[in-house]
Amino acid sequence: MKHITPFFISIRNSVLSLVLFIMLWALLSLFFPVYIVPSPFAVLGKTPHFLRQGIFSHLTITIFRVLIGFFCAFLIGTITGVLSILINKSLYLNAFMALIQVIPGTILGIIFLLVFGVGNCVPIALVVVLVLPLIAINTSNSLANRNEKMEQYLVSIGGRRRDLYHHVFLPLLIPAFQSNLTIGFGISLKVVILGEFIGSQSGIGYLLNVSKIYFRMDEVFFHLSVIIAIMICFQITQSFLFSVLGKKYFYPN
Amino acid sequence: MNTILTVSHLTKYYEQRLIINDLSFSIGKGDRVTFFAPSGSGKTTLIAILNGFDADYQGQYSLSAKSLVTIFQEPRLFAHMTVKENILFPLQVKGKRLTTDFQQRLDHWMEVCEISDKLEQYPYQLSGGSKQKVALVRGLLDFPDFVMMDEPFKSIDIVSKTAIIRHIVEVYPEMTILLVTHNLEEIPLLSKSLMVFKRKISSDFAFYPDISNSHLSSFIPQVIEDLL
Repeated sequence: MKHITPFFISIRNSVLSLVLFIMLWALLSLFFPVYIVPSPFAVLGKTPHFLRQGIFSHLTITIFRVLIGFFCAFLIGTITGVLSILINKSLYLNAFMALIQVIPGTILGIIFLLVFGVGNCVPIALVVVLVLPLIAINTSNSLANRNEKMEQYLVSIGGRRRDLYHHVFLPLLIPAFQSNLTIGFGISLKVVILGEFIGSQSGIGYLLNVSKIYFRMDEVFFHLSVIIAIMICFQITQSFLFSVLGKKYFYPN
Repeated sequence: MNTILTVSHLTKYYEQRLIINDLSFSIGKGDRVTFFAPSGSGKTTLIAILNGFDADYQGQYSLSAKSLVTIFQEPRLFAHMTVKENILFPLQVKGKRLTTDFQQRLDHWMEVCEISDKLEQYPYQLSGGSKQKVALVRGLLDFPDFVMMDEPFKSIDIVSKTAIIRHIVEVYPEMTILLVTHNLEEIPLLSKSLMVFKRKISSDFAFYPDISNSHLSSFIPQVIEDLL
């Protein structure tokens, strides 16, 4: 039970964040007219109506794109980060990835729209290009800070390369995985929405775009709430997985 | 007596600063030698060279131990492993199984170190002294031929330290030990011979070939004189 505690703390924090967000939203709605910031209660009242408009298919498409894009970015980014350490080129990687990171997402979105056309490819490609640098840099930096004394100890007892990966690299990678998942997934979600906004006729981003065009702000806020709900579900899931499977890798030295 | 370690004319510079100066000595099988030198004199650098971590030196050394273990100044425990997992890790790396003999030896060590109740704990749950005890047990469990100890008792209280050293002397009488320390009270408990270095680890050291049955007070004034 003890090792599940961080999971319950994470749920509590997520719920508190949600309550805080709703309170802020409610507060803002007091100062702005309803066509700019509708109250959360008004949006909640219209939720059955919004749900009847086929949001679930769009939601599935958005989640599918986020997962595919994020999985590719996570996989390639992690491999790139680890390789940069193994071949001692982490500084080059950091410089190159920092360069990619500054390219504006909207410009890339338009380029991908011209290359791939309207559809799944634009949001997925955007996620891969915009999230990958962050994951690669974070992974590489985590491994760069590894404890050389533990490596020396392994050498002194005749440890092999696999022992080094298992007992020095992996304990650093697990916390890096978690921060990559938390930050990376949030950015992926944002980028997919952006991609759908620019070059898609499906997904939550597309719905947001349509709502925005017609100034249906209650719909806009409803879709924003859906995005936040996805993020909270993801946070709770990953927190559960790490508290059950990888807690020992978070113990301090 | 067969020698287990021979060092000849070892010199080490670090960024043009002389750390070890023309050091020569040898240690025979079964000997227990202490290097006594002030902090910052290059003791840890010598241990690093003898472990093969630092190849940038002049001179040479030869080691003929079948199994060499180093107990470092810091415990170097794996944070994600329990105390028991940490202790048994070297056996696992060598592909050895936890036999009844090992288990008995481990139980005995746990009693001597008074950490029997900490086997399932993780390093972050231990005090500095307990971590060093775990590192000692981990190093000595497999009966190595030669042990290099770099201030291994630093955070351990005098009562536990005495019990541990007595256990080492009783259970491992044939084991060759090179103890590096700047703590005088450890010397007569463990060592048969003593090398006192004034400032740097160098060829200029005072050698006490037999202190095994000496009381601290019998040689300490001379050691302090050597250091001044």
